[in-house]
Amino acid sequence: MLQLSFLPPFSSVLRAAMDLIISGQILGNLRASLIGLAIGFGLAVSSGVMTGLMMGRYRAVETMLEPFVNAFLAAPRLVFVPILYALFGVGRGVQVGIVFLSAFFVIVVNTMGGIQQVSASHVEMARSFGAGERQLLLRVLLPGALPMTMAGLRLGMGRAVKGMISGEMFIALFGMGALLRTYGSRFDSAKVFAILLIIVIVALVCSYAVALVERRLTRWMEPAA
Amino acid sequence: MGRQRGGPVIELRNCSKRYPSQLGQAAVDALEGVDLTIRPEEFVCLLGPSGCGKTTLLKAIAGLVSLDEGEVYIDGDLVTGPGPDRAMVFQDFALLPWADVVTNVAFGLELRGVPKATREKKAFELVQAVGLAGFDHHFPRQLSGGMQQRVGLARALAVDPQILLMDEPFGALDALTRRLLQEDLLTLLDRRRKTVVFVTHSMDEAVRLGDRVVLMTPRPGQVRDIVEVGLPRPRPPDLEKHPRFAELLEYLWQQLREMRP
Ligand SMILES: Nc1ncnc2c1ncn2[C@@H]1O[C@H](COP(=O)(O)OP(=O)(O)OP(=O)(O)O)[C@@H](O)[C@H]1O
Ligand SMILES: [Mg+2]
Repeated sequence: MLQLSFLPPFSSVLRAAMDLIISGQILGNLRASLIGLAIGFGLAVSSGVMTGLMMGRYRAVETMLEPFVNAFLAAPRLVFVPILYALFGVGRGVQVGIVFLSAFFVIVVNTMGGIQQVSASHVEMARSFGAGERQLLLRVLLPGALPMTMAGLRLGMGRAVKGMISGEMFIALFGMGALLRTYGSRFDSAKVFAILLIIVIVALVCSYAVALVERRLTRWMEPAA
Repeated sequence: MGRQRGGPVIELRNCSKRYPSQLGQAAVDALEGVDLTIRPEEFVCLLGPSGCGKTTLLKAIAGLVSLDEGEVYIDGDLVTGPGPDRAMVFQDFALLPWADVVTNVAFGLELRGVPKATREKKAFELVQAVGLAGFDHHFPRQLSGGMQQRVGLARALAVDPQILLMDEPFGALDALTRRLLQEDLLTLLDRRRKTVVFVTHSMDEAVRLGDRVVLMTPRPGQVRDIVEVGLPRPRPPDLEKHPRFAELLEYLWQQLREMRP
């Protein structure tokens, strides 16, 4: 039988990773995870930036929503899994929901902060050239908030991956989290570490992708000396 | 150019502005009963001590602040907000840091829905006109203060306003850069007939540039005196040698000194 070695040698972790890849377990589950991540994160970015924009621009919206945002930001994300479970049943809904909830609030808070930091003189300048409210939002406030928004996206991506894995472990149906749980319950530490390794690599690639977009969009900024 | 003579008249009637008290601070009376008529195609300089309400007055003409009393009329039409007949140049330049020079210059046109190709062509011409040829795709942070304000000026000229509102545009620049920009501004305006309202702290600048100098009192700002400059145009390079120049500076200085609290 298996021996309980919590720290398997790296070579056996790599071998386990190869086994998992060759057997096709990684590919299918990774695909399931990434689809959920893409949908949940995409929803979080679009609605989070929108919400942050509104909260940053309009005092009334900020006053109304801020307590909720702060509460959700502080709450441990796993708390939402049973709620999502009740809402969507077992399946994609829980996974997408947890990814969304993990990323949404950081993106909101960062975007809001970025909007509020946009210099009043830029707003006044735009108004003097006849900008309407919509133009002000899209041409001045959003681009001005972009560095903060992008930092929010980067934080959000990290949280999204963590949330996704926890959610998948909870529902144990598909995704890298489910795979982790399967081998975890078998105490197959080489496989567990192999899966973790792959998750970490995927998380790094995702963060890197966000960072790439960030760098492209904020090239105008002064590099810190 | 086929432009008609006779730009708009700007009339300020009994304009008062009070900034309401905020966070326990006392309310500020920035303007009190300002009456002023600015003639078509005139270059008017507003001169007065710091905090006397010059920026407030300029923003009232721009339609950026609401007055508590009185009105601003442009060619008889009540000003209720910003309009395409006016463009502003700001003391802090207010360039968009994420946009390159051409995009900044084209910003006013962009807001007006001018197609990209058209507005960039226009912006490109103005970049040349203000002496920034070759810097089209630089970002504001890559430019000196003087160059940044040239961009600010080009942006205002790009929308071809009848009225140019300038709030201490050269106040943040060193003396040499300032003189060069003053000269270039006059040259640029030679070929474009505009009404200019120019706020400044500098008596020298007011006299060099203006047709008239409006002297304002300390807060709450009122018009204390209006001085006809009466120096020849185009202004000769050795304007300092003109007897009228020294006379005007002396007079303005006397007036400002008397206002000292
Ligand atoms: N948004 C504002 N809220 C409250 N008070 C203001 C505001 N803007 C200006 N003030 C006050 O109104 C007065 C006039 O301000 P304004 O900026 O018009 O003066 P200024 O003549 O342009 O001064 P400076 O020469 O220093 O630029 C000042 O005392 C200022 O503190
Ligand atoms: Mg001012």
